[in-house]
Amino acid sequence: MKRSFLHVDMDAFFAAVEQRDRPELRGKPVVVGAPPDRRGVVAAASYEARQFGIHSAMPSREAGRRCPQAVFLPVDGERYEKASREIFAILETFTPLVEPLSIDEAFLDVSGARLIHGTAEEIARKIKETVRRKTGLTASVGVAPNKFLAKLASELSKPDGLLVIPEPPEEIVAFLAPLPVSRLWGVGKVTRRHLESAGIRTVGDLQSLPADRLSRITGKAAAESLLHLARGEDLREIEMDRREKSMSREHTFPEDCRERETVEAVLLDLVEDVGNRLRLAGKHAAVVHLKLRWHDFRTITRQLTLDAPCCDDFTLREAALSLFRAQPLSGPVRLIGFGVGGLADGVNRQLSLFKSEGQPRERKERLSRAVDAIRRRFGEEVIGRADARRGAARAGGRPG
Amino acid sequence: MKFKIAKNVLFAALQRVQNVVAARTTLPILSNVLLNAEKGRISLCTTDLEVSVKCSAEASVQKQGATTLPARRLASIVRELPDKPIAIEVDDKNIATLECNSSYFKIIGMSEDEFPPMSMPEGQYTYALDQGRLKDMLGKTVYAASTDETRHVLNGALLNFKGNKLSVVATDGRRLALVEHEMEVPREAETEVVLPTKALAELMHTLSEQGTVKVRSDGNKIAFEFDDVIVTSKVIEGTYPNYRQVIPGPAEQRVTVERETLLAALKRVSLVTTDKANAARLTFTNNSIVVSTTSPDVGEARETVPVKYTGKDITVAFNPEYVMDPLRTLTCDEIYIEITDDLSPGVIKCETPFLYVLMPMRVT
Repeated sequence: MKRSFLHVDMDAFFAAVEQRDRPELRGKPVVVGAPPDRRGVVAAASYEARQFGIHSAMPSREAGRRCPQAVFLPVDGERYEKASREIFAILETFTPLVEPLSIDEAFLDVSGARLIHGTAEEIARKIKETVRRKTGLTASVGVAPNKFLAKLASELSKPDGLLVIPEPPEEIVAFLAPLPVSRLWGVGKVTRRHLESAGIRTVGDLQSLPADRLSRITGKAAAESLLHLARGEDLREIEMDRREKSMSREHTFPEDCRERETVEAVLLDLVEDVGNRLRLAGKHAAVVHLKLRWHDFRTITRQLTLDAPCCDDFTLREAALSLFRAQPLSGPVRLIGFGVGGLADGVNRQLSLFKSEGQPRERKERLSRAVDAIRRRFGEEVIGRADARRGAARAGGRPG
Repeated sequence: MKFKIAKNVLFAALQRVQNVVAARTTLPILSNVLLNAEKGRISLCTTDLEVSVKCSAEASVQKQGATTLPARRLASIVRELPDKPIAIEVDDKNIATLECNSSYFKIIGMSEDEFPPMSMPEGQYTYALDQGRLKDMLGKTVYAASTDETRHVLNGALLNFKGNKLSVVATDGRRLALVEHEMEVPREAETEVVLPTKALAELMHTLSEQGTVKVRSDGNKIAFEFDDVIVTSKVIEGTYPNYRQVIPGPAEQRVTVERETLLAALKRVSLVTTDKANAARLTFTNNSIVVSTTSPDVGEARETVPVKYTGKDITVAFNPEYVMDPLRTLTCDEIYIEITDDLSPGVIKCETPFLYVLMPMRVT
């Protein structure tokens, strides 16, 4: 059976929700995110604002400079989530095969649903109509034989668009050929630079490239996947049960921070937060990540694989500190982040030979859970590390 | 400097020293081998600042001198040369020309002045033991050393010359391997050092089966001299954990089992383990050990190994890799397994002075 995938992506979602709820904002540039006189970034920009070159993840100050008349609004997560739930409920009336990618986009496998609801294009049209009627918001939908092409199609059709990618392979190849390589999944800034310096700018350039030549530029694994994508091939299936594979938290300092101790104190708060979520989810982490962004936006990430998966604050803290302390503070720190990955449910525990060697993992885990319980019952601040400067990460934290 | 040397002799010498040379190094000179031509011999030396290897070989030296040349490149060139004498001449700019039969190479070297000198320990006493014996002792223990860099003192093996024996111990905190060899150790010469894993690997690579190796240490450095080779290494500082205290007393049950049969069973069973479910259960039951694994995502495996056993049923879970490690390196036909219960250490022994202590896994 021929397969049909849809990629449904809401247009300027946060900004669109604001414009829907406040008619006076319609037709005006709206920016959701940090205010323009403060630190932080744009979470979403309305299409009117985008005409000024504003896009998400841009620092709000920059957005304010580009468009001083824009209306800046804080992120109102609750309202967006409510709208998101309504949208996903609509998607699920067409097929149970829905893979949420974020709060406002999803893949749908409608190969089977075509028998009930008509062609994939008709389904796409119905989804757009229903979403507009029930939520007052617009969505862009891409229709294609696989996930990669469907997402590409919705991106190209924005806003309020609907684009159907033809099915014959030769037409797909022709369709992709003029696009820049950065449209391919997995081609970021670095890969793009490497490709461009080898004279490869469009997907068409890639299509005619021998595999071994590409391997020399990008490495073997990446080359293989790029060549498939360049021909529009993607065998990924819908993943409905997107189990959490990682957890993380970040903190942007209200002012760039030069003091190692302050950054460290915030880091330890982040570690406890992530640890708490890990334990709540009943998971153990095998890998820890550290993210540091300097004042000039240079960002580094470092990671470490733990001896054995764990979920206690003591081990996470030790790992986080060893990563952080290995980094010279080459300048003021703008952002610090901590995350865990390689999450697994229960683990088999290798017992230790030396009794004197620290506290066994189990005791550390029990202690961490006890602290969680006390905080849940009596509040965050009643118990903490003796060296903690709690609250550091809570005051003035902003996304970005 | 100018000398002539048989291809095989030079290649063998290069092979002995080139392992120490790191593929990537911050100090370019460390990629090079120090060549020294003296009367009738040349010596080759490499180092990574922690471990150094020096090896000498017969050569017809026309002009004495020294230089350093890129070790791996030189070795790969010499490997491909025909089996004929090689003539090497180095000018005062450290450019070497290498001629062999119809081949000609010009290789750019670096001055020997920059090469870190090999420093020998100042210890008074020298232990002598059989090379094959030392190699065997290291082979039976080194796999148990920790690779976790945060546990520096465990990143090697303890060589303990005490009580008229040499004990070699390695542990990663989960399992411990110990071999002993009786030898004369005068009281004033008793010492213990932790030898880093890299030096252990180097010794295993260069020691031969026969002949004597002389060992000397001053507590900071240790040197091994054998055949035409000297291996020196820094020793790991820090206090090695008290390994005697983790060796359990007599166990409740002792089972004799054919080493290769158990190893084969474990190998097969571990084919269905995953990162998450990496435990193998060993059930000691009526005249058999049942080795089994269950991985929720993969499936199950079960093997039955016949043994003489009439005690109570005991099940204990181990990381199968940790059980296989000693079985792979031992050579005896039969081994003894001692167990008490599911949370106490298991012990593997054999007829020779070898002991392996392994903590179980708690399976959830």
